[in-house]
Amino acid sequence: MKLTLGIVNRPHSFPKLLNCFSFDSLGRPFCSSAPSSSPSCVKPQVPLYLRPPIYSTKLCDLKKWHDWAKGLSFSIGSTFVQSDNGPDSSMLCRELKWFMEDAVEDLSLATEDDEEVTMRVDVEELYSLWKQRVQERRPFQYVVGCEHWRDLILSVQEGVLIPRPETQLLVDIVSDVVSGNEDLRSGVWADLGTGSGALAISIGRVLGKEGGRVIATDLSPVAVAVATYNVQRYCLQDKIDLREGSWFEPLKDMEGKLAGLVSNPPYIPSEDISGLQAEVGRHEPRLALDGGIEGTNALLHLCDGAGIMLKPGGFFAFEPVANNHPLLLILAHL
Amino acid sequence: MEVVSQPLCTILFATRKHSLLISKEIPNPSKHFPFLSFRSTALSSSSRVSPPSLPFAAPENQLSVGEGENTDASEWALQDFYSLRRDVEIMLQRVEEIRESSGLKLLEQELANLEEQAADSSFWDDRAKAQKILSTLADVKEKIKLLNDFKTQVEDAETIVMLTEEMESIDRGLFGEATNLIKELNKSLDRYELTQLLSGPYDKEGAVISITAGAGGTDAQVNSYLYSDAIVMNLFLTFLVQALTSVQKLSPPEQDWADMLLRMYMRWSEKQRYKTRVIEKSPGEEAGIKSATVEVEGRYAYGYLSGEKGTHRIVRQSPFNAKGLRQTSFSGIEVMPLLPDESMDVEIPEEDLDISFSRAGGKGGQNVNKVETAVRITHIPTGVTVRCTEERSQLANKIKALSRLKAKLLVIAEEQRASEIKQIRGDAVKAEWGQQIRNYVFHPYKLVKDVRTGHETTDVISVMDGELDPFIKSYLKYKFNMSLSTNGVN
Repeated sequence: MKLTLGIVNRPHSFPKLLNCFSFDSLGRPFCSSAPSSSPSCVKPQVPLYLRPPIYSTKLCDLKKWHDWAKGLSFSIGSTFVQSDNGPDSSMLCRELKWFMEDAVEDLSLATEDDEEVTMRVDVEELYSLWKQRVQERRPFQYVVGCEHWRDLILSVQEGVLIPRPETQLLVDIVSDVVSGNEDLRSGVWADLGTGSGALAISIGRVLGKEGGRVIATDLSPVAVAVATYNVQRYCLQDKIDLREGSWFEPLKDMEGKLAGLVSNPPYIPSEDISGLQAEVGRHEPRLALDGGIEGTNALLHLCDGAGIMLKPGGFFAFEPVANNHPLLLILAHL
Repeated sequence: MEVVSQPLCTILFATRKHSLLISKEIPNPSKHFPFLSFRSTALSSSSRVSPPSLPFAAPENQLSVGEGENTDASEWALQDFYSLRRDVEIMLQRVEEIRESSGLKLLEQELANLEEQAADSSFWDDRAKAQKILSTLADVKEKIKLLNDFKTQVEDAETIVMLTEEMESIDRGLFGEATNLIKELNKSLDRYELTQLLSGPYDKEGAVISITAGAGGTDAQVNSYLYSDAIVMNLFLTFLVQALTSVQKLSPPEQDWADMLLRMYMRWSEKQRYKTRVIEKSPGEEAGIKSATVEVEGRYAYGYLSGEKGTHRIVRQSPFNAKGLRQTSFSGIEVMPLLPDESMDVEIPEEDLDISFSRAGGKGGQNVNKVETAVRITHIPTGVTVRCTEERSQLANKIKALSRLKAKLLVIAEEQRASEIKQIRGDAVKAEWGQQIRNYVFHPYKLVKDVRTGHETTDVISVMDGELDPFIKSYLKYKFNMSLSTNGVN
């Protein structure tokens, strides 16, 4: 895939960032809301579609639930769109279809109303899950416990940022640069603030069997647990090394040795958090969203550290935001 | 049957060969061509609604012959004979029609022409060309033989009938022979017709049907109203009045109509024992659907359905209006072959594609969480656009959309007889794909009429229940005759 320069490389935004380098808070921790001390051993949840199909219900009961859920979705109309640019009815219906796909083992097996359908979740649970989705605005991805992202299906749960479609572009960029550069392909890469592990896993696959390793870090123990689970599911334990800690801290041993560095750091200005779409603001981890007063704290910290961590010729790309539109900033360290 | 990725000419060639093979394999044809036996049953089930004037479809003969064999001989002998005599008469006519529509005279001319070439002293100078001519010659010969065999067989049966009439007594042996002749002939004519009608390079593939509520393009509709029929003119006026009074672009009646069409095609597919999968369906606000996409898996699904693409129009008393005013709605149908990725060796240059992801405008990235993964791809040179929303990731939607775009471009190239994508005329695409093809009148009278073939029936309910075969078949015949008149035979 060829990249359009317009999206990827906005040269004017980089000097703007550089100007802020004199900002004196760089050395300090930038995230005011420190994570509550979680137990170091978090057990990741199994996504709905991977759970064993041990429940069974009559087809007519499933239909009844489906009609109810559809009705609930339609009662929303465009109220969420108007209040905070949330989903509309038709989007909820699409989610409902996917929810069914994940929850029911094989719908085509049953045709008569009194036939039994095998499911991965109890039908009562379906009611409460869909209520959570619509009434509490719990993100769909948390409801089914996974997100289809690029060619991956990643496990996600509360406490882990749901990877966004825009971030997929970062993988395309990395894929482009390593295809023509053997040094980059065989070197060690780092994904800082990995969350579900989306970037680390994709880059691990891009580098290929012969290529280099990826080190992924995250401050949140939940994220590290979930990312570890995802790495295992894609059998990349040998390729991806997960380390718990803030940004560069767990990478002390890699100073000046990294071939590439990627990140999707928090970049939403603190004051905007309260006005976010409910699915995001109420349910996703603030740690992964809040980028400080101007939203640039983490970005600046990363820019600062990249110089020390990367080896000559190293590659650095991350997803910051300008005028509330995500854009990617790439920096080749020469 | 392999093909698809081969050039067009080879495929047509191969299919013709098959039609010849079939005739030799009559004793046990279902082994190699399972779909053929299915086809003849599908046709006979549809014969209830087909008017008797339809020249090719006369499957009821099979039924009466079958029954005749099983019933008590002495009691029913005379009746059996009358039924046989009628069958033979119908068959004589059918054979004559087939021989005519196959362009037998043209074939004979061509044969003479080819034989003359083959006799030329310089014939073997160009070996490749000579081979090609010889194999065409063999094909034409076989086809003529087949058409002559049809005639001989039906004449044999006729002779038996005449003989029986003269003898004024029924010989069981002869009678059985004639019955069998007619039965077998019916089958081989069905098969012959099928291979003639469904010889497009993608005809044997599955199909993807997309239904969209509302009119595809206004220009296309108005053009199709230049149709000199008093009733249609009347409808046109109704339509105009409604068009002027209605401001809503996508009204509940249109979404309801789209839903009715979806049901109609699902029913039809069920009857053919095709496997269907609704891969995308976006419900309307009040009723019906805005759009739906269905994959139909099964042999020849595309061949049958390809003629359904275009704008379908309904006239009825509005179910959404208390006064029950007469109302016209439109829905667009698009049909593409379901092609396996590996069979599409089309490379579209990256710069010819405009790929856009949903989530244009507004905030994005971390600010938003929507499982909106829709991808829309436009082929810039032709303006052909596909959209894919049903997959759960953007990448999956992009791959699917690209594969659908390729299929669509291949079909358009085939329709325009362009040898490659580059030759597609974009202006023609728009006009062809939005054309109105069929009217479904529920009120003030009942009539379904195909604008292209003129085929019609008053049994609207059955049509909506999936009895589409007469329409599909008459269109295939129409298309075949059109290609004959424009191309000659070979």
